[in-house]
Amino acid sequence: MSEHDKIRELLALAAADALTSAEEKQVAEHVRSCIACSNELAVWQPIASELRRLPTPQPSSWLVQATLARAQAKLTEQAEHDWNRRVMIVVVAFAWLLTIASWPVFHFVSGRFGSLLRPQFSHTYFSQMLLNETWLNQTWINFAAFTALGWLAGGVAAVMLAVRQRGERRLA
Amino acid sequence: MAVDADADVVRLRRGDLSALSGLIARYQNRLYRYLLRMVRQPADAEDLFQQTWLRVVEKIRSFDASRNFDAWLFTLARNLAIDHLRRIRPQSLDEPLAQPLANRWHSETVADRISSKDHTPLDHALAAERRTEISEAMAALPMIYREVLTLRFEDEMKIEEIAQVTAVPVSTAKSRLRRSLEQLRYALEARYPGGTWQ
Repeated sequence: MSEHDKIRELLALAAADALTSAEEKQVAEHVRSCIACSNELAVWQPIASELRRLPTPQPSSWLVQATLARAQAKLTEQAEHDWNRRVMIVVVAFAWLLTIASWPVFHFVSGRFGSLLRPQFSHTYFSQMLLNETWLNQTWINFAAFTALGWLAGGVAAVMLAVRQRGERRLA
Repeated sequence: MAVDADADVVRLRRGDLSALSGLIARYQNRLYRYLLRMVRQPADAEDLFQQTWLRVVEKIRSFDASRNFDAWLFTLARNLAIDHLRRIRPQSLDEPLAQPLANRWHSETVADRISSKDHTPLDHALAAERRTEISEAMAALPMIYREVLTLRFEDEMKIEEIAQVTAVPVSTAKSRLRRSLEQLRYALEARYPGGTWQ
């Protein structure tokens, strides 16, 4: 491709002010000495000029207001969602803490009252061991059931609350 | 990006509602114009305008403040517009307008009218008509060409910013701009034969 052809390809971009400074210099030098390219550039320039002066269509004020209202509602919803998530994290952490902390209490209470119900038929070391182990397993099962029930109730409550909130939001 | 826009973006990231109205006021004309050039239909552009701002609110926290907000905003709008165009007509992205726009200026060449100066009321009227013709010719171009023309000439974006918005290398953005101008010129010449374009 000759120098002339290369410059000719740049003329549209020159009218669009989209050349690098080196290219601009190259084009300017060439156009000074080449009438054909000078004429070609003269055709591109009014097109570029008219494109820059095209009227700007403007959005209606109701569109802007509606957009703002919807975006603000979304922002509020997001803030609420973030707050709920933070609360949920704290609640879950607290629930775990409470679960772990309740173990000694549960152990103590079930030990105190469970011993009243425990059959006292043997006093040998071996049978005591077996009895203790059974009692321990039973305590664990009770504790697990109690914890699972607590978590299940909490989960169901959270789901019901979320569904209700979503319904309210949809109505709003 | 302007300092005010920067400050509004930072405030919006913190969840400040008033920052949002500042940003919408600042970008509403440019964004609406860009979307209208992309999808051509005002109703679609209005819908996409709303969707774009909702997307801004949704994604503002993932926006890297060191980046250009203009480019980010237009990229969001572009993605939504392209999804919309693909939904309504999958082939429409690279296709020119099927129906040629009304040609009301057979007797006069575009070159004649474009080169005229607008001083008198008649000249003003002619200038307005010239813009309408260019606008119609531009609307008939394929989407990728309309897009690059509006970003360069109406939004006055640099080639680097156009490349960022359209997610192409700078060289591709540059060649796309050149091709879009050539297509526009060919379209004008085809609509107004006998013009002194070459």
